[in-house]
Amino acid sequence: MIRGVYQHVFNFVGLVLLQVLILNNVELSGYINPYFYLLFILLLPFETPKWLMLALAFSLGITIDLFSNTLGMHAFACVLVAFFRPYLLKLIAPREGYDSGTEPRIKYFGLEWFMKYAVIMVVTHHFALFFIETFKFHQFFSTMLRVILSSMFTLVIILLSQLFMVKR
Amino acid sequence: MRNLLKLLYAYNFLILFIVLEGFALVLIIQNNQFHRAKFVQFAQGVSGNLFGKITNFKAYVSLKEANLVLANENANLRNQLASLQRVEKTRKDSLVDIIYKQRYTFMSARIINNTVGKQYNYITLNKGLKDGVIQDMAVISPSGIVGIVEGVSENYSTVLSVLNRNFKVSAKIKKNSYFGTLSWNGLNSEICQLSDIPYHVKISKGDTIITSGFSSVFPEGVKVGIIHEFDLKDGNFYSIKVKLSSDFRSLNYVTLVDNLEKGEQLKHEKIAEHD
Repeated sequence: MIRGVYQHVFNFVGLVLLQVLILNNVELSGYINPYFYLLFILLLPFETPKWLMLALAFSLGITIDLFSNTLGMHAFACVLVAFFRPYLLKLIAPREGYDSGTEPRIKYFGLEWFMKYAVIMVVTHHFALFFIETFKFHQFFSTMLRVILSSMFTLVIILLSQLFMVKR
Repeated sequence: MRNLLKLLYAYNFLILFIVLEGFALVLIIQNNQFHRAKFVQFAQGVSGNLFGKITNFKAYVSLKEANLVLANENANLRNQLASLQRVEKTRKDSLVDIIYKQRYTFMSARIINNTVGKQYNYITLNKGLKDGVIQDMAVISPSGIVGIVEGVSENYSTVLSVLNRNFKVSAKIKKNSYFGTLSWNGLNSEICQLSDIPYHVKISKGDTIITSGFSSVFPEGVKVGIIHEFDLKDGNFYSIKVKLSSDFRSLNYVTLVDNLEKGEQLKHEKIAEHD
């Protein structure tokens, strides 16, 4: 259990550093900004208390915000996905439910389940983030295009990182 | 009372969610309209140090390029100096005047944080109040305009980048001096929009756009970019796409420009507005 906690602390710090130092500088053609740090929320254990998850999501978002001059935006998007996560997990639960000792990873529930889970989470997050950033709807389609392209890019990175983990 | 507590406990997840989202929203709204520069400065207190170190490293790696840019600028200045000296011999009187009534002062600064992919981009410089930076100074690079100083703290300052949807500056076409308003629509970090050029003006692709000097912030004649595309949408005014001459992705050193006669100009314009 304690090892698990260390694992998640390490995830938090590692993902924040990766996002701030490297991925924030990736801006392909003004449309694609990957936000890989979301993986931290994706990988939290099923048993995480709901309030703790919200608090963790908020501190993750606000940390990213502090480093990218967007105070509040990432925090908003992160808390939103953390709020939806328990309901989403219930919705897409396998027939026999989640066994104790399992984690939301490919090796326990398969690629199809993980993709469903990741796609919904990532798109929700990016949608909230990009629309909060433009703060108005009058360029709806160009913002939507940014949401879709960035989500695809983020998903590809998340999937690659997960496939690596499975091999190990 | 007990029932209330029970209720609060039962819905703690929803309540915590609403409280946190509300807090984030407050941050965003304050940040977007009034106190943006202040909040960003607060964040810089936390991250400025780290970014400073990273930037030191980056600057070291790109020293070669920086040298090249500086050498080019040196050569340009030398050329200008040479041509001025020539003029000085023939028309000394007017030139002495220019030298003693210096209008702009220049100061160099280094960029320690910069974004180009957002809708409202800001640049952080390593010069602040301590070095004499004040609000509304113009920021230019050897290749063109960069932005306007918006917030200043003791050691750092934030610059409203040209790539910010709140940025507006008066710019003109070099060959015929018709002027319009330059702004950015948030789509492409290399292209800006120039509006208010009437339809009868003859323009063509590749024409140079420079600052008009009407705004009291930018000196006249700083390069902005070249015309990339234009069309007549609503019939009376062109909508012109301008390719910026500064490459915002590789900026490293910039120059801060202070207009010594800004106060005087603004005072006059205020009086004129009252009349």
